[in-house]
Amino acid sequence: MLPTPYIKCDYETVYEPCEDSFLVLDCLEQEQSFLQTRFKHQLAIVCELGPGSGIVTTFLMQNDIPNNEGSVYLALDISPWALEATQNTQKRNGCQNRYLSVIQSDLSKCLRRNSTDLLVFNPPYVPAEQVPERPSHEDDKGQWLDLALLGGEDGMVVTQEVLNQLDTILSQEGVAYILFCARNKPEQVAEKMKQQGWSVDLIINRKAGWEVLSIYRFTRS
Amino acid sequence: MKLLTSNFLKCSVKACDSSNDNFPLRYDANCQLQQDESIDCNPEFLINILQRVDWNALVQVALDLGNNSLPPQKPELSPGDDLTDDDLAIIRDMHSLLIQTSIVEGQMSCRNCGHVYYIKNGIPNLLLPPHLA
Repeated sequence: MLPTPYIKCDYETVYEPCEDSFLVLDCLEQEQSFLQTRFKHQLAIVCELGPGSGIVTTFLMQNDIPNNEGSVYLALDISPWALEATQNTQKRNGCQNRYLSVIQSDLSKCLRRNSTDLLVFNPPYVPAEQVPERPSHEDDKGQWLDLALLGGEDGMVVTQEVLNQLDTILSQEGVAYILFCARNKPEQVAEKMKQQGWSVDLIINRKAGWEVLSIYRFTRS
Repeated sequence: MKLLTSNFLKCSVKACDSSNDNFPLRYDANCQLQQDESIDCNPEFLINILQRVDWNALVQVALDLGNNSLPPQKPELSPGDDLTDDDLAIIRDMHSLLIQTSIVEGQMSCRNCGHVYYIKNGIPNLLLPPHLA
């Protein structure tokens, strides 16, 4: 078992690490040797969309995932609170010497084309009437938290946006890990992505309370 | 934000994706920079970074910020090379610029649409106002 980062955040503003977060950690631990082989002797550009508390990115830095060539870590979140939390979590866990940049961004819109080798996304996957609008003030704490949870129709609106951009986000050898809940209909999503020429593999799934969570891996075939 | 990060940021405006001028962003010459000498130089990391960076973009951003120390061509260094004194000098320059230098406050704009983005407390904000998002 790899060590899990120590987290202390204000959970009124950022998403408290839950079963889904821990599933991402377990998935990445399980994929360690796959990633090491894939990015052998090569510096990787690692990008997490929506890091929230920063638990996943810090876990990656702490455990030299994908490899020990010293990756460049980019953590992109729409919420200023999440960016602050991610920086704090990095420091709290002694990862100041790693290259991490936190960037306020709407998903991957600001990322240079085809530069990401490892993409990790634990999206707002909860089905809701709509994806909430971005709060106009930093102090609208609960509204920022809603953004981390609610994914519109089927909980897929935000995830679908990223899937649509995957081809421009990932480098040639790039790998994406994306989390789904059962109500996202992940099998259908996977099938559709395969038709578009992606290799899609179910890496891990788990029953978490009344939810069934799964993480799929996407690579170019 | 450390200077190297500029090598991964483009304009968020979708319409600019069809332009070659949406990357790199143009950095305002008045950006407030900070030099953190406490970060040790790791030549191997820098050589690895070299393989991944868009060199022209780096040179451009460095020039925006008033630094003309980078050679116009990407230095040809590979992991495992025996490093000459000249190589080490280049690596030290790169370390000082890409890793030790951060932009704390300032602004940057798209070379295509001119949209201005701000950096505050060292964090770049690439969000668009609702009418452009």
